[in-house]
Amino acid sequence: MTHADTEFPAKLSKRRSSGLYRLVQAALDAAEPLIEAVIRLCGMSAILFVFAILFFVLVEAAPMLGGKLNLVEFVTSTEWRPTSESHPQYGILALLVGTVSVTGLAMLLAVPLGLGAAVYISEFCPGKPKEALKVVIELLAAIPSVVWGFIGYMVIGPVIIATTGAPVGVNLLNGGIILALMSVPIIVSVGEDALKAVPDSYREAALALGASRWEVVYRVLFPAARNGLLAAVLLGVGRAIGETMAVLMATGHAVEIPHSLVDPIRTLTATIAAELGEVVAGDDHYRVLFVIGLVLFALTFSVNLIADLVVKGIRIEKGS
Amino acid sequence: MKRDPESGRGPLGYYLATDGGRGPAGPSEPPSGPACFATLEAGLEAAGAWCSALPEPGPSPNSADLVCGPTGPACEARIVRRRKPKYRFYACHQAAGSGGDGTELVPWWSIPCAVEELKQLARDGDIELRSGDRIRLVCRAMFSPSPLEARKRTKEAVAKYVLMAAAAALVVPVVAILGYLTYKAWPVLGPSFVLENPREFMSTGGIWAPLAGTFALVLLSLLVAAPVGVLAGVYLNEYARDNWFTRIVNLAVMNLAGVPSIVHALFGVGAFVLFAHMGRSLLAASCTVAVMTLPVIITSTREALASVPTAFREACWNLGATRWQTIRTIVLPNSISGILTGVILQVSRAAGETAPILFTGAVFFVPIADHGWDSWFPYGLDRPFMALSMHLFTLLTQVRGVSDEIEYGTAVVLIALVLAVNSLSIGIRMVLRARKRW
Amino acid sequence: MVTPHIRFDRVSVCYGAKAALCDISLEIPEKRIFAIIGPANSGKTTLLKCINRTIDFIPSARVTGEVLVGGEDVARSADVYRLRRRIGMVFPLPVGLPLSVYENVAYAPRRAGIHDSRELDPIVEKCLREAMLWDEVKDRLDLLGTRLSGGQQQRLTLARALSHRPEILCLDEFSIAIDPVTTMKIEDILREMKSRMTIVLATNLVQQARRLADRTAFLSDSRLIEVDETEKLFTRPAQRLTERFVNGEFG
Repeated sequence: MTHADTEFPAKLSKRRSSGLYRLVQAALDAAEPLIEAVIRLCGMSAILFVFAILFFVLVEAAPMLGGKLNLVEFVTSTEWRPTSESHPQYGILALLVGTVSVTGLAMLLAVPLGLGAAVYISEFCPGKPKEALKVVIELLAAIPSVVWGFIGYMVIGPVIIATTGAPVGVNLLNGGIILALMSVPIIVSVGEDALKAVPDSYREAALALGASRWEVVYRVLFPAARNGLLAAVLLGVGRAIGETMAVLMATGHAVEIPHSLVDPIRTLTATIAAELGEVVAGDDHYRVLFVIGLVLFALTFSVNLIADLVVKGIRIEKGS
Repeated sequence: MKRDPESGRGPLGYYLATDGGRGPAGPSEPPSGPACFATLEAGLEAAGAWCSALPEPGPSPNSADLVCGPTGPACEARIVRRRKPKYRFYACHQAAGSGGDGTELVPWWSIPCAVEELKQLARDGDIELRSGDRIRLVCRAMFSPSPLEARKRTKEAVAKYVLMAAAAALVVPVVAILGYLTYKAWPVLGPSFVLENPREFMSTGGIWAPLAGTFALVLLSLLVAAPVGVLAGVYLNEYARDNWFTRIVNLAVMNLAGVPSIVHALFGVGAFVLFAHMGRSLLAASCTVAVMTLPVIITSTREALASVPTAFREACWNLGATRWQTIRTIVLPNSISGILTGVILQVSRAAGETAPILFTGAVFFVPIADHGWDSWFPYGLDRPFMALSMHLFTLLTQVRGVSDEIEYGTAVVLIALVLAVNSLSIGIRMVLRARKRW
Repeated sequence: MVTPHIRFDRVSVCYGAKAALCDISLEIPEKRIFAIIGPANSGKTTLLKCINRTIDFIPSARVTGEVLVGGEDVARSADVYRLRRRIGMVFPLPVGLPLSVYENVAYAPRRAGIHDSRELDPIVEKCLREAMLWDEVKDRLDLLGTRLSGGQQQRLTLARALSHRPEILCLDEFSIAIDPVTTMKIEDILREMKSRMTIVLATNLVQQARRLADRTAFLSDSRLIEVDETEKLFTRPAQRLTERFVNGEFG
């Protein structure tokens, strides 16, 4: 086949010179302009869709924003009576408080749990259990929100009624617990990434100076990874704010400011989900729901943006 | 003999109280009753002699206390083990060389040396003992943990177990809950549950029709989102120039992935149901889900592509390869695992999400034929459809008279579907990562 | 008058606001070894990138002036990929592509359309022999390129560069990340090759230039300070700056 003094391993050179292979390579090369055009098209359309989401929500909300909706009353009033015949009121304060309170309660539970688990996985857990634990956390993150709502309604609700004597099981506490369990995986995975990004040389230097592993964590790693850990928490907050189905099923339906942990509440997301099916397209109620959608969009987008910039902040510091 | 200046009760003596270790007198017993010495020097000699007589200390140090107190029958009450010593001195049998000043970090290097130094300190009047004060002489082996180190180790162990508890507190309850769900659903789970259609307005029968609807939804939406998303990721990472526009686009794409699913529902209603006149249909819902999964597919594709080192690309360019040739021969084959796992994760997300399909096409009831193709797939692109996630939601919140088992069964099937798809993605990632090529 | 193989005519390159090369004019003759020496950041790498137009891949780069290879302006070249196949490049850090050793060397011929193993096998063997890597890998041709040692990967890069029969071979500080033995091997290869191709060698190892090069150019702070026959540049340099550099007073 080749030189007299060379024996090329037959499988190596023969395998890739069949006629079909040559044809495919030639075709792919010849189609390059077409393929690159398709790639550019996909790129452009993706950009288009990204901005289209904001555009459409804005367009549908715009008529109300134009002046029909008293924005001050919108944000400060707790009276949410969109279906009233005579005098519909659109005050979302109670809904805002609902969203903030359930998110706050969830973070109170999720942040220590999540960061603690992240530190454990990253610094203290030996090899094999570490992989298993990471897989379990990833699977936890995959559980759909409607299932979490189901768990809240069917499992946690009765437990709450039994332990606290509350009249109803779906309330702020239920929602907080469920949201905490939903946000923890993202806090753990982003937090673990942040800790992994701290160079090993930091750990080795601290250990060489006589620090115990715990001291390495809270004196060296936390300060070094604080941006990433903060971003992890912010992403968890973003997830909690935007959650719809689980809070819809687990927090009850009372549009009221809660006075105790076991009061039912309603969040911004649940309001849209509960009422969008019953509105007539184009009327005021419909458009106000889009305004709420805008509020949610702005909230989650800015939380995620801040998290992004917080993380990028370290890259700029370290690079300079 | 001194007089106790405070109580004036009589002359002061110095009592030798020794720690456990492997002393000749056994644990926590002084040699023969509390030995009492008239002067500090005598007491120091005795303490030194006692320490020297011991075999070398092991991991825990030996210590001898000299307690100052009035002589007489009340002396036994003076020897209380737990009092904090006023002075603490350290000696180490094997410390090499000279130097050392009796401190924890720089101990005296032999017992006789320690005794001499202590006697000198006493003569210089640097040691002042009142009634009840004690001096402790600690002898520890070289390289054994000092009290400081022992404290650190305890703290570390405590921290480790607290953090382990945090991880467990996360995992254990959820696993328990999932087990409980399976247990409650057990009577109903089986092939017939999955393959039969719902009957009697969903109060009995199985869940095949909603399951088929979910399959159709996922297939349609990924058919659009996967190619567009992957190619868009290729464009953004490999072709787009690094100017302000591209940076804004990247930022927008990444952060759009965090937008609440209900906002996607609003978009779907506004854009597909109303504007494009698709009405509430399988098509509108698939488009909405496609747009929902698009940003994440783009981002995960970009991350997978970015993980291929730039050095490889530069090497190819220098060999005369075009951008597309470089991408298809080196970049794509080496990032396919990341791309694939990203797409598969979106499959599970598309199957599980409810909000985007609530108002764009999913309904609770669609008439199902009893036989024929329509009993297996009773949907059309332009008509509403059933989906498993929607089914679970409605069963729970709006339908009365459905047995608990069916509700739990629906939930368990949905969880199993999602977890199976995710496990597939994790499995692929593990297998392909093991074949890492650089 | 011999036409120079490569000619720079008042070439300036800026990365955004930062100047990388200022008004460089030099001629590189055919089939000799031409060294470019200078302290760090003096523009050596940029100069090499201009020859095979890989400067195009740096979006912020602006090139003015003309770079002529074999008499034709590279900026106006019809097929830039063919141009790049006339020029071989070796980088400072050894790079093995994540393919088998065989496929590493066969990469450029395949991109040029040669897929037949009867044509590829001799090319692969010849290039690996020329790069003095054949004996070490001939039994392990399916080994992943990234699993070779640094010195072997650098020789693999050289084999790849030779696989498309270039007229010009550019080496950018090729020895900084490899062991002295491999460096010496590659220097021997270069001496043997200069009869067949023009070799442009950018290096900050002054003695390496003295050993290998026929002509040497000294760049400092993005400017061309002096260019001359190597011996003359090192023993009787015309510029004071050159004299200080070759004596090791800075850089």
